[in-house]
Parts: sequence; structure tokens; C-alpha cells
Amino acid sequence: MAIGAVIFLSAVGLKSLQRPVVRIDADELNQLGAYWEQQMQRPPTRDELRGIIGERVDEEILAREARSQGLDKDDIIVRRRLAQKMAFASEDTAPIPEPDDATLQALYARTAGVYATPERLALSQVYFSETRGADAAKGAALAALGRLKTGAPGTGGDPFVMPLTYADITLPDLGRDYGEDYARAAAAAAPGSWIGPVRSAYGWHLLRVDGRIPSAQPAFASLRAQLREAWFADQRQKANTAMMDRLRKRYRVEIAGAIAGGAGRASSATVAPEPNAD
Amino acid sequence: MRMETIGTRLLGLLAGTALAAGALAAGADTVKPPAKSATVARPAHLPGYNTERNAYFGDLHVHTKLSFDAYIFNVRASPEDAYRFAKGGAIGHAQGYDIRLIGGPLDFVAVTDHSEFMGALREADDPKSPLSKLPIVQGLFSPDHNQIAAAFTRVVTAMQANKVPKEFSDPSIAGRAWREVQDAAEHNNDPGRFTTLVGYEFTSAPDGRNLHRNVIFRTAKVPGLPFTANNSRNPEDLWRTMDGWRARGIEALAIPHNSNGSDGLMFQTTKFDGSPMDKAYADLRRRNEPLAEITQIKGTSETHPSLSPNDEWSNFEIMESYIGSNKMITKFAGGYVREALKDGILMQEKHGFNPYKMGFIGSSDTHNAAPGSVEERNFFSKVGREDATPELRGSVPPGGARTWDPKAPLPGANTARFQSWGASGLAAVWAEENSRDAIYAALRRKETFATSGPRIKVRFFAGYDFPADLARRHDIVTQAYAHGVTMGGDLLPSRGRAPQFLVWGVRDPNSGYLQRAQIVKGWVENGQAKERVFDVACSDHLPLDKTAWRCPNNGAKVDVATCATERFKGDVELRTVWTDPTFNPKQRAFYYVRVLENPSCRWSTWDALRNGTPPNPKLAATIEERAWSSPIWYEPRT
Repeated sequence: MAIGAVIFLSAVGLKSLQRPVVRIDADELNQLGAYWEQQMQRPPTRDELRGIIGERVDEEILAREARSQGLDKDDIIVRRRLAQKMAFASEDTAPIPEPDDATLQALYARTAGVYATPERLALSQVYFSETRGADAAKGAALAALGRLKTGAPGTGGDPFVMPLTYADITLPDLGRDYGEDYARAAAAAAPGSWIGPVRSAYGWHLLRVDGRIPSAQPAFASLRAQLREAWFADQRQKANTAMMDRLRKRYRVEIAGAIAGGAGRASSATVAPEPNAD
Repeated sequence: MRMETIGTRLLGLLAGTALAAGALAAGADTVKPPAKSATVARPAHLPGYNTERNAYFGDLHVHTKLSFDAYIFNVRASPEDAYRFAKGGAIGHAQGYDIRLIGGPLDFVAVTDHSEFMGALREADDPKSPLSKLPIVQGLFSPDHNQIAAAFTRVVTAMQANKVPKEFSDPSIAGRAWREVQDAAEHNNDPGRFTTLVGYEFTSAPDGRNLHRNVIFRTAKVPGLPFTANNSRNPEDLWRTMDGWRARGIEALAIPHNSNGSDGLMFQTTKFDGSPMDKAYADLRRRNEPLAEITQIKGTSETHPSLSPNDEWSNFEIMESYIGSNKMITKFAGGYVREALKDGILMQEKHGFNPYKMGFIGSSDTHNAAPGSVEERNFFSKVGREDATPELRGSVPPGGARTWDPKAPLPGANTARFQSWGASGLAAVWAEENSRDAIYAALRRKETFATSGPRIKVRFFAGYDFPADLARRHDIVTQAYAHGVTMGGDLLPSRGRAPQFLVWGVRDPNSGYLQRAQIVKGWVENGQAKERVFDVACSDHLPLDKTAWRCPNNGAKVDVATCATERFKGDVELRTVWTDPTFNPKQRAFYYVRVLENPSCRWSTWDALRNGTPPNPKLAATIEERAWSSPIWYEPRT
């Protein structure tokens, strides 16, 4: 408290009580001290505390001067922060009513493909490791394919860390593990015939589809909970869009070279988040 | 219901398959008839079921807005969002941008929010809640990163001084949050595609020395409320509580993490109160802690250069400060896993018990509800707004400068800490299928491995009677399981014979090529625990020096101006069968595998590249990504 008083006096000065006041209250003082202590793992000395407080006072003075000169007006950081605060404050304001079965049935009909179970395969493969060199691996695979087709013995394939025989694997999992070329080849393959070679990140593969369960659409009842969730997500999204539309109507948007109406979407581009992660 | 239907149809598929394959496979020496299991496929297995087990990758350390600190960091993403992210969806970051994985969905995830004051900060931020009127809450939810740091300090200081108002511990608040965690897990668990596990973090840190653990439950059967560090800071009380749960049919395991921030406390050689360990203690600990998280964003805890001076790769994403502050660590022994394994076998030798028989996993410890967000080229912070921009993470020059000024003032304390963090940590298991049962069982038997982010696959077996051509056989894994033990297991002596080790690493197609595979050995000799690193397989057909047990450098380089790597250096896979030339049947030992990628750009270099500025000269520009298998223990006498 004593230090607070000192700063109060030094910032305000004694000469004129007309000047605007920068006040650092006890809470903030404690916060400044605690923050420093957390970083340094010891309490600040008197001089250090004076320095910390001086910085905070200067920051306040500069911020006020900046505002009085209107420097906050065209600042992208200030603008973005205010916009984010506003967007956050306006979320989940209105409750969304519980959807009835007819509504969810309609959603189910509309989004059928989203919930389909993936196609499943039984599959065998012969693998030729990239460690042989890409050309040598492909050559060996082609030779082996010839032998497999004529029923000649010996394919000369390599051991592999993933299964050489799958009793039951989904098409998306094949895509994940071997890449899209492999998954496409497996999807198109006629059962019982060796095809290839197909390249993956590991090398070259010959494959034979031994059986297939096509993609299927689960019944409505088993998806009810998921559909309900999707419906709520959709409603929230719609509510946010509607709010933005309402707000847009309050403004006339002018863009260089063109004049847009109240619902001009172009303005939204200016509040897109910074492309920080790719 | 759905499972039964599919199971029935699968039987039909498999029956047809066996016939077709039997006819076609005749004469093809490399192809065994598929689906022998057709005749025994009684339990309806999930798609992808594999008796020889598949590698699944996940994250067992994830925080959402229900964690007090994440909420202060402005994180508003929920457990539901965390699972959406892990499945490949996009979610919002606290800073306003969208984030998503580029390496594909994860296979399994546990959301592990801090159990202390779980959900309380969210309620305190609600003007309708009485919590919002408490003095400690005023000004706590600023979006400014300096204010956030101050708010975080205020709460942590109050926690450590036991001065958090009692309203924050209202069981109904924690109950609501805990319910939300369970609901999100239940709702996102999708057997065969994506597994969720219910979990939480026990957040004990006496005097700031980190003793945190994640508690992971096997099923949806969990206690009404977590056992927290507010109940006791002593992990032994947590383990006793877990024993009690188990007696009631609630199975869980605890995974310690950030031993590197414990200042020697996590793996000390005494009990929590300083008294000597005994067999009962070791049993209690091992029963509840089969695993350790050896790498995450806040540093890697495998070993420290001062503990392993002869390991040229020990200086990997090392963090030398306490958790959440810049106080420096003074004691590395007791803070690193390799040393703990050595202390463990020494205690087994001298006293007949080993509290430190741990397998390995990695995880992220994201506080952005972003499981698996440990991709170097797609790293976007760990702690919400605190490290949300490259400047805050110290990877680009401050104040919009285009170069690094050597005379510029040192970065702020937070930035200094964030820039030392690594984009690291995935958990991996070998399991028959992607289900809670199969993945939890793998964690229990320690058939696990850790990676620094890439989805490198590692197989590791030891045995005495492998076929001579094991490494070239197509049924290599069948043979290895049949004639050996795998990672996490015990190898017993066999008439003094030296065991063989099958070591097999396969690259992540979305990451770099492999440069070498190593075995790290620890053993007891003349009453002392020792260690040695052996290179056992080299890339690019390079010759292995069998005196020094080192591979030649394969010369793979990185262009740090573009982060481009060389295509024709390194291997897709490294596979070998190795016999330990220093094996002594009387010496107790452990062995684990470490597989190294070619060098590649560190996240901080990717940040700099995107910013068009040079990488921070104080940071490593490149790293060698890696994977670690769980150990196999050679047990001459038990």
C-alpha cells in the first residue's frame, strides 16, 4: 500500500491536481508483483518493483495518449480482438429447441452418405520393399505377378511390418496405411485375381481381393443421437450466420470500385483469422 | 446391435474367402491362405482384427476448457471438440484461427483434464454463478497474454498455498465436468475406427516439483469423482485409492509425466516421505504405474546429456526448468526414465524388488483440446493464447524485425520457456483391434512405444530359438511371437545362451526416412548400473562398425531455407536380428529400441520459414525425430 501511494504521487505529481490520474490499485499492484515473482521465483527488490510499476504506468499513459490520438482506430490487432470478443459474447444466446423425429428423418435422408459404413475387404498382398531401390522393387513385383498368374512357384516378396493377409479391412484404412492409389486399386479389383504392382510409401505391392462387403447405410434408429447432434451443430451455425446477417443489415458496405448492399458478404473477408497454422 | 449384424455377415465373407484363397494361393510360396480364422471366428471381431496385432497411434494427455489453466489461457474447446479434432476435424484455437491435423486422424485418445477444480473456472466465468462474485475471479479472464500469465500465477499461487476458495471445490461443479468428460468419451467411442478412454490428470507438485500423473480407465465404469491432489499430494495415496477402485471392479492405470520437471523427485529411490522403499511399495507402484510418458511438448524425459555422456543423441528436446515457471532444475537424476530403469534393476539386484519396470508412451499435453498436435510443420502452440503466435514462441524476431539482433534484450520469461518446448509426443500400442479392451490390454502389458510425433512403427522381440532366417521370413511376426517375448516383457535365462533381438523400424510415410536403429542397454555389473547405446541397423547399406557399434553418418542434409530434405538418403525400413556381444547371463539387464529419422526442420524453423525470417540462432534448426520401444527385461533370477 505504501508503495502504491508513492507511485500515485510520483505519477500524478504535486504541482497540479488538474492533470488526469493514473491509478494503480492494490489488486493490480499485487498482480504485478506476483507475476514477476512467478517468473523469477523470488520477490522483487524495492528497485525492481519501482521499475515494474514504472513500466505499467508508462504503458497506461501511452495507451491513453494513443487512444486520444485515435491510434486504436485503424489497428488490425485491436480491431480483431474486439471482433473476437463480440463474436464470443454473442454465441449461445438463444436456446435451440429439441428437434422432432420428422426433422431428424429429413436430415437423415439429406445426409445419407455421411453415415454409410465403409466397404470392407478380405485381401492378400505380396510386398517388394523400397529398400531394394524403387526400380528393382517394381521389376521384382512385375516378375512375380507373371509367376502368380501362371501359377509358377516363388514370388520373392519381402516380409512386411503390416499384414500380408487381411481377413477384414476397411477401404479407408487401406487408404490411410498405403495411400489412395492402393485403396483405389483394391476398390476396383475383381475378386480372386492378382493385380498390381501398386506403389505405396513403403514400396510396391501385388494384391488380390478375396472377398468384399459393400458399403451400407445404417438404419435411422441407430443414428438418432448422431443426427440430433449434427442438427444442433447446424442450428448453431445457422444462428451465427443469421446474427451476422442481422448485423450486416445495419450497415452499408462500400468497397473500392463497387458499392455493395446491406448484405454484402465481401466485408467478411476483412475479419478472417490470420493464417497462422497451415 | 450393429456389431451383431456385421459379425454374422463377416462369417459369410470369411467362409467364401477361405475357399477362393485356398485355390488361388496354391503354389504361391509367399502367400499363406488368408482367413484361417474363418473357422474359429466365433466372437465377432472388429474390422482390421489381426492376431499379430496392428500399430495404433494416439494421445493420452489432452486438456480442454475444463482444465483450470486451459480456461485461463482462453481455451473454450470442449472434450467433444478434442475428439472431433483427433478424428481429423477442424476446431477453433483460442487465438481465433482454425486448427486441424495434417497427418490424418488418430486411432485413440483420452481427454485428461486436471481434476483439481475441474470445470470450476468455466462456472466462475458465468455471471449467473456465485463463483463469479469471488475476489479471486475478478479480472481472471482477460484475452491479453500478459494478463493471462498473471491470472495463471494468481490461481497457481493460491492452489499451492491451499487458498483457493472452498466454493471452487464444490463437488457438484466437478461432478458436472466429470460427467461431461464421460459423456464425450462414450459418445465418440467408435469400435474399429476410433477409441476413447476416460481419464483425468492428478496434478500434484509439492514445492512446484512435478509429480503429475494421468489416470486412464479401462471402461466406462469410473468413480463418482476423481481422486485429486487436493485429496493428497502423495502419489502413494492415489495408488491405494486405485487399488480400492479395482476391488470394486473399476480398473485404471496411472502414467507419470514430465519427470524432467520434478527436480529429481519423480523417480527418486525413496518413498514420498523419504523413508526407504520396500517390496510392498514396489508392488503398489508397479501394479498402478506400468508405463511412463517419456516425451511430450514440455520436453523429453528419456535421458539427459549429463546422465548419458556417451549417448550422442541424448540432447533431444531437453527442458531444464520447472513446470510453469523459469526456476531451473538442479537435480537430473531421478528426473529421467533411463536412469530410473537402471535404478530399478539395481534395486532388484540388491533388495529383490523393482519399482521402475515401466514401458514407454509419448503424448502431447496439449491445452488446446488438440490431440496429436505435435507435427513440426503444423505446430501452433500448446497453451492457448499464451504461445499462440510465433513471436510469443520466440521463433521469429520480436516486434516485426526481419533479423535477429544479437544485442536485443533477452526474450520474456514465458517466451524463453515456450521456445524450448518441442512438438513431440504420440502414444502407440500393438493391439489386435481398435477397441477399448484391446488398447487398454496393450497398455497393461506394456506392448507400447513412444514417438516424437511421426507415426514410426517399431517391432521388438527377444528370444533364443528364432529361425535362422527370421529377418527374411514372411511369417516373421508369427515366428517372433512364437519363439520370443515382445516389448514390455521379461526374458528368462536359457542355459547361459545369449538371446537374439529382432529390431524392426518402419518409417511414417508422412515424415522422414530412417537413418539408424539402436538398442539401448542398461545392466548391473559389480553392484553398479551401467548403460550403452548400440547402433544395430544402418540405412543406405552403410557398414556397421561392430567395435564401436556405430553406423557411419548417412550424410542426409536439410535445407533450412526451404526445409527440403534429401530423398535418396535413409531407408523405408530397418530390420535386423542382433545378438548382444557383451551379454553376460549373470547380469540383470534391460534393452529398448530407439529408431532415428534423418534430420528435419524443427517447428521453430518452419515458423521462421513462413515468416520469411531466419531461424532463431539460439534454437536447434533441425531435429532427428525418433521412436522408442518399451524395454524387454532380462531377468536372471527373480
